[in-house]
Amino acid sequence: MLTPLQTYFPIGVALLVAVGLAALMVALANLLGPRRPSVVKSTPFECGSEPAAGSPRERFGVKFYVVALLFIVFDIEAIFLYPWAVLLLPSQGYPGLGWAGFVSMGIFVATLVAGLVYVWKKGVLDWAD
Amino acid sequence: MNGFPTNDFVALLPIAILTVGALAVLLSEVFLVSGRRGYQAAITVVFAVAAGAAAIARPYSGYVFNRQAVVDDFSAFVTVVVCAGLALSALVGAGWLRARNAERGEFYGLALFGTAGMALLGMATDLLVAFIAIEVMSLATYSLAAYLRRGKRPSEAAFKYLVLGAISSALFLYGSALLYGASGSTLFGELAKGRGSPLSLAGLSLVAAGIAFKIAAVPFHAWTPDVYEGAPTPVTAFMAAGVKAAAFALLARIFLSAEAGTAAQATAFSGVISGLAVLTMIFGNLLAVPQRSVKRMLAYSSVAHAGYLLVGVLSASVAGVREKALAGLLFYLAVYAATAIGAFTVVGALERRSRLDDEPADAWDLERFAGLARRRPGLAFAMAVFLLSLAGIPPTAGFIGKLYIFQAAIGAQLYGLAILGVLTSAMGIYYYLRVVVYMYMRPAAGEAEPLSSAATSVALAAAVAVVVVLGLVADPVIRLAQAAGAILL
Repeated sequence: MLTPLQTYFPIGVALLVAVGLAALMVALANLLGPRRPSVVKSTPFECGSEPAAGSPRERFGVKFYVVALLFIVFDIEAIFLYPWAVLLLPSQGYPGLGWAGFVSMGIFVATLVAGLVYVWKKGVLDWAD
Repeated sequence: MNGFPTNDFVALLPIAILTVGALAVLLSEVFLVSGRRGYQAAITVVFAVAAGAAAIARPYSGYVFNRQAVVDDFSAFVTVVVCAGLALSALVGAGWLRARNAERGEFYGLALFGTAGMALLGMATDLLVAFIAIEVMSLATYSLAAYLRRGKRPSEAAFKYLVLGAISSALFLYGSALLYGASGSTLFGELAKGRGSPLSLAGLSLVAAGIAFKIAAVPFHAWTPDVYEGAPTPVTAFMAAGVKAAAFALLARIFLSAEAGTAAQATAFSGVISGLAVLTMIFGNLLAVPQRSVKRMLAYSSVAHAGYLLVGVLSASVAGVREKALAGLLFYLAVYAATAIGAFTVVGALERRSRLDDEPADAWDLERFAGLARRRPGLAFAMAVFLLSLAGIPPTAGFIGKLYIFQAAIGAQLYGLAILGVLTSAMGIYYYLRVVVYMYMRPAAGEAEPLSSAATSVALAAAVAVVVVLGLVADPVIRLAQAAGAILL
């Protein structure tokens, strides 16, 4: 029988592997990678927009905000879908979620699709100004 | 289908109808592109009526979702009240928004979503389900408060509401966590297990504080006047009617579960609630007295009414008077919903409009009501009926509601609270009747014509009918409310 602490051993190993791998990759890239800096490469990098220069109190497209919101919604949907997909069918004595699970998820996804249709028609995904 | 929880899904029928309605209105907004949006209010009313009918027809009664929610007469009554509130607010909103050229499907969609949360709140018998329902309701009302986002006041109102609402949600969650620690379950039915432990009392008090924000009980009322005044008037009506009814339904269930089987008024938790009731009755009424803005006065009046309703909740914990107290509570909530929506409708019809949705400070000043009886006798009469009902003067329904609640309080031997309730109601007569005096006995200030629209008139007529008819023949509804008093915990 494992003590409670011992049951955490695999997690500790995974943690070590993760940290080790990250350190290894950074170290290897530093040792082996060629270094040819240019003006473009050393400018600050921001996702999808011109890097902010000067005052941060500039107006910027509200679209980023809405897209971020949409991303969260569908991210959460994916988080729900994964365990649901694993647990839906019966296996080895476990009864599965059955039709109740199927219908519930159907309602959830249908609601999200309706929301997606709404924002699509509203022009949120239309990137051109 | 084997093992399919049909009952669970059937129990959610009213909520499903409201949600489908919300999606339908939202999609109609983007697919049926035309300047005329009158049909959206009609769709909303149809779905609200359908959801109310589904709650009355009630194809299934009893516990659902592993006792985490329940369908009983109580939840059905609450659902009908919030659906009626939604229908009235939608009609009011139609006229009000059209005058501002701001009628959009999102308004009705959010209101339908919020009502779905309120209906779920009336059914919840589990702290987590209650939390989800509170959030569904609150997120919709936060956004509705910001509906006219260009204005300064609506933005301020929405921001205050959001921040304080988030705090109240956090308090509720923290309390739930403590209660789970004390009783080992999030079900209301198990709350009584942890009774007596300091952990349980702290948890219950935090949960009660979270709900007290929603019902606007002193000292958690600070947001109420600013939010009620700043939010678009139909939204204020919707909040005063629906949010209050749903939150009181939740408070009644939690309080009765926690106090199940105790000698009355002996527990520390009932001490907390009666403290809230005393403070709310006194300060709600006192703070309403100096208000010049009628909309703000009605906000404080909403605080004061929360105090009377708290007395009803307290009385319900005594075994002998539980049915009477709950009947009074439900009747009062139904009447208050109609009255508050009606009163805010008149305020909305009279308010001064300006460009960019930013009402000037004197938009709801008493002076704007001067001479209304001569300019618009119908509007003035309706407002007078609502104010008399709020003041609790017979033969309006507000009187019957107060009568039942204070009778129940006396039956429960809460003499002090009953006396305080009657005294503070008397204080209320002053500030309610002051508006009536302005309408009937002051000369008109020669102001612009009040807003008038067919939809608003229908809503006003319905609200007046409810207040007058329930005042004269309260029995059928009282009997329904009494049946609903057989509450499942």
